[in-house]
Amino acid sequence: MKDRQFNLGLMETRYKIIVKGVKFFYGRNQVLNDIHANFAEHAITAITGPSGQGKSTLLGLFNCMWDEIPGARCSGEIQIRLGDKWVSPLKKDIPMPLLRRKVALVFQEPNPLPMSIARNMAFPLMLAGVRDKSLVREKVQRALRQAFLWEEVKNHLEKSAVELSGGQKQRLCIARALVLEPEVLLCDEPTSSLDTKAAGIIEDLLVSLRSQCTLLVVSHYMEQVRRVADEVMTLQDQTLRRT
Amino acid sequence: MIRHWTEKMVLIFSWAATVLLCLSVSVFLGYLLLRGFSSLSLELIFGQSDPLMALLGRVRVFEGILPAIAGTICLVGLSAGFALPVGVCAGIYLAEYAGTSMKKLLGLLFDILAGIPSIVIGLFGFSLAVFLHRHFHGRVGPCLLISALSLAVLVLPYIVRSTQRSLEELPAGIRKTAIALGAGKLQNIVYVLVPNALSGISSGIILAIGRCAEDTAVILLTGVVATAGIPSSLLSQYEALPFYIYYISNQYSSRAELTQGYGACLILLAICAVLFMLAYGMTRHLSYRTLYRA
Repeated sequence: MKDRQFNLGLMETRYKIIVKGVKFFYGRNQVLNDIHANFAEHAITAITGPSGQGKSTLLGLFNCMWDEIPGARCSGEIQIRLGDKWVSPLKKDIPMPLLRRKVALVFQEPNPLPMSIARNMAFPLMLAGVRDKSLVREKVQRALRQAFLWEEVKNHLEKSAVELSGGQKQRLCIARALVLEPEVLLCDEPTSSLDTKAAGIIEDLLVSLRSQCTLLVVSHYMEQVRRVADEVMTLQDQTLRRT
Repeated sequence: MIRHWTEKMVLIFSWAATVLLCLSVSVFLGYLLLRGFSSLSLELIFGQSDPLMALLGRVRVFEGILPAIAGTICLVGLSAGFALPVGVCAGIYLAEYAGTSMKKLLGLLFDILAGIPSIVIGLFGFSLAVFLHRHFHGRVGPCLLISALSLAVLVLPYIVRSTQRSLEELPAGIRKTAIALGAGKLQNIVYVLVPNALSGISSGIILAIGRCAEDTAVILLTGVVATAGIPSSLLSQYEALPFYIYYISNQYSSRAELTQGYGACLILLAICAVLFMLAYGMTRHLSYRTLYRA
């Protein structure tokens, strides 16, 4: 990890996300206070900290999932570079569906939709208006390969995704997020409900994805953070600090 | 010790209630079969007419219940056709778009509508028929269309509430997933929420179909008659099985006629069963098409 940090330091760091003075409230309850941070492009940044400090909430700010929570308020500025253009999700200067396709979120609990594996994978493409079946097939296959899942499911893509094992479900969810070729992948404790072996596969997967997107990973497990992260930040007492 | 006995008593009571329910259904069906099975024949349906010619509409059926069967099927189809789109859309609005106060207000109104006795809705339909009769110089009166519209109003709350409830009961995970993948609100409703709530929605539809097929009070005031033949248009009067059963059980002159009434009951139950299976099969097929087909 130190080598990677050293390398990042040598090059001029190109930031993907810039956060300035962000405050977040659930009703009257303040969860985040004056958050400032820069997240480097093509790096894995881990966000750690005790439970209940708002790590998942922070992650949800980057693709505006907080907007779906009744009574939630957010102020400050978040800038994300998508392509060559900076967008500010809090100012809503980009359509939310488009933002969520480019800044994908993988939830803590694996949440495949109660559909077939094939439908789960093709679903984001259908939402994005991709109708060309051969293109869909190609993208689905590529994403499943990236998530180390293709060999396990290629012969039963019509099977219900809910019947997969926990680790397979989580890899399917990551593959489903990858099918849209996002520029930022947000992972909220992606291994918390998995055994050591399945967690190891997901860790390898996250490391392999660094070259194609920027990853922000919330994790409790310090060992895991040391293994995969280029940079570590700790969220405690409503503020985010570089570790 | 007391807790152990209480638990045992609750278990016994629940078991007894279930047995009682199964027994009631069995006794009810058994009684109907016993009394009506002997009358089940082509003659009950077609009378003295040739079945093929009657089905082709070449001859009119006078003594059989074919016109009543046709009337019932038309009535159920039309009522469901009117009530389904409105009910499902209203349920979606209540579950997904309405604010808290609007949800409470509309929920209350639909609950009131569900509590209105069918004879009152029948009277409303009758008033509408009288109004139209005056307005269109006697060309429109009590008819199949008005009966179907009245029945649609009667069953609307079941469809609205079952749609609303089955959408609201979907786990938050399903709701958030599509949004996180870039779905708009409408896309989330159409592609994820409604297909996953179809089994709940179908139970409301089945309840509505059953109610449309069996309700007599509404049709009594809005267009059903004892002899009208197979309905020829939406504005014609019609026959229906519930009314036939009501009529024959009141007016029967021989034991054979009463047995025919029981036979008609069995046919009505069979029609309901077929319609239930059709509704169930359609929702399952729709669910498979939207969620599992490649």
